[in-house]
Amino acid sequence: MKNNIYEPELAKITRIETVTPSEKIFDITFVDENVQKNFNFLPGQFVELTVFGVGEAPFSITSNPNNKAKFQLCIRAVGSVSKALHSLKEGAKVGIRGPFGNGTFPYEQAKGHNVLAIAGGLGLAPLMSFIRYIMDYRDRYKNLMIIYGAVNPTNILYKNDIAYWNSRDDISVCVTVDNPDDKWTGEIGVCTKLIPRVNFKPDDTYTIVCGPPVMYKYVIQELEKKNFQEDKIFLSLERRMECGVGKCNHCHIGDKLACVDGPVFSLWDIRNLKEAI
Amino acid sequence: MLYKVLKKDDYEKFVKSLINDFEFIGPVKKDSVTHDFVRINSFDQLDTNYKKTTIAPAKKVLYPSKETLIKYELGQEIKINAEKLDENEKILFGIDACDVNGLNFLDKFFSTDLVDDYYFERRKKLIVIGLDRMPSETNFSLSMGKEFAKDGFDLFLTDLKDRFFVRVGSLRGHQLLQKYANFSDATSKDFKDYNKYMDDYRNSFKLKVDINNFYDNFEQIYDNDKFWEKIAKDCYSCGSCCLVCPTCFCFNVRDDMELNLKNGNRIREWDSCMIPDYGLVAGGHNFRPTKENRLKQRYRCKLKTFSDKFGTNACVGCGRCIEACLAKINIAEDINAVNNAVKKEVNV
Repeated sequence: MKNNIYEPELAKITRIETVTPSEKIFDITFVDENVQKNFNFLPGQFVELTVFGVGEAPFSITSNPNNKAKFQLCIRAVGSVSKALHSLKEGAKVGIRGPFGNGTFPYEQAKGHNVLAIAGGLGLAPLMSFIRYIMDYRDRYKNLMIIYGAVNPTNILYKNDIAYWNSRDDISVCVTVDNPDDKWTGEIGVCTKLIPRVNFKPDDTYTIVCGPPVMYKYVIQELEKKNFQEDKIFLSLERRMECGVGKCNHCHIGDKLACVDGPVFSLWDIRNLKEAI
Repeated sequence: MLYKVLKKDDYEKFVKSLINDFEFIGPVKKDSVTHDFVRINSFDQLDTNYKKTTIAPAKKVLYPSKETLIKYELGQEIKINAEKLDENEKILFGIDACDVNGLNFLDKFFSTDLVDDYYFERRKKLIVIGLDRMPSETNFSLSMGKEFAKDGFDLFLTDLKDRFFVRVGSLRGHQLLQKYANFSDATSKDFKDYNKYMDDYRNSFKLKVDINNFYDNFEQIYDNDKFWEKIAKDCYSCGSCCLVCPTCFCFNVRDDMELNLKNGNRIREWDSCMIPDYGLVAGGHNFRPTKENRLKQRYRCKLKTFSDKFGTNACVGCGRCIEACLAKINIAEDINAVNNAVKKEVNV
């Protein structure tokens, strides 16, 4: 990262994959090879991406931290920056600052334990970097279960990854959709419905959650019914991180800042934080 | 700390030579009720006897309401240039103790975790000469423990009628005295008179709050919707309270393109947590949709958050937000209202 905390590094979009009608995956590499080589991030961290002429916005990194050649973002066209980004072509230059966030997924604490990943919609994207990290070190963790809820079959992200997870016998995957089409044979309904079926021991399980704001409350209710512990539940929270470095304050959640204290928090840390969930 | 004394005549000569040799910013009368810190060219413009607070806080000297962070040029190759600040040494004169404490807060804030170069480029070139003054009606800095400035200044003057008691807070301050002033060491008599001034000063605070009990009481009353509806009902969500606050630091970042559509400027400008779109994220979800949400967030930030983070509150009790609020929302009264509501166990 540059000495000046507000100055972006120039980076290039090397590949764009349209995954759903509203989401694209972007592979990005820094123009300066040395910057790319020294770009080390942890599962759960995010970058600030500049579309020149439009502005800057925060996005979670979705790729495997062990992949040093590039990093990946999965972005829905919903704000001014993300919409402009969707109109860019492969080879276009963007600005990157980061990685940011001191609150990461519990990649150390969860060693030797089960991991349960619960994602709603685009919430799967931030979890991807941790899931991919676990795949690299599969023997360090016990069971891995992924519960993923999407609006409809067309909007399911990471279909290739899901197929790959399904092909392995050391991962269980449950995908559910709210609005099935004629061909859909899987689960129907919200992802919270699947939580009661989880048969992991509560004190031996780390849960990671990401989804739309409305989802957290219900997921937590279900997890607590099963006695999952609040210091072992980790939630990635979305706020308006404008600066990413704890200065602009737009991502305030009670006494904490999503950008420097999060974006991943344990449930215990935010349990009594007003307006967090 | 060194303690010196300046005679009244010597004070005037000293200030005049500083105005002559430096970019000099001090309190100036704008109209019958307002004062502001502005660039001064002659001693006559300076008016240190203002009764109310100045309208804008001194932070604007270090952290302008709008500034360019980076510039970029689009084309075959995109060029990114961070704005380089080339500041002259400036003197900020006549700010009172709680305003110095406001600067101390911002110093801490902009250097925590990661350093904000734009702020510190200006800060290290700024000479701060403080001046004690009697508290205004809305000043409750005594209750906030911010009525006295321990550090953060180069010189701090206290008016003892026929002379000034001078606390020297830095080498630069001492150098200025040596170069421009005729001064002497403070004697026991000077200290005695200084103590008398400080006692009178502390006894003059009319507005008082109990900030210690507020820390827990705030959480107790936090979810009492009726209580907060009553307090926030008149709020216009205008953000005046934040703009006049000596410690508010929130900013908005945006990119402005020039007409040639080739050169872009990334700009930051002061923002306020009281403005409705402050907590809005892409997709349309607003994390703080009501004025009650926003007011509570402001009080938390001012009166709790940084006592956990820095061991000191963000609010210095200067009273500017009380004067600026069109809806007459009064932070000091509200601190006491929170405590009283809990004390009386009243479900308001």
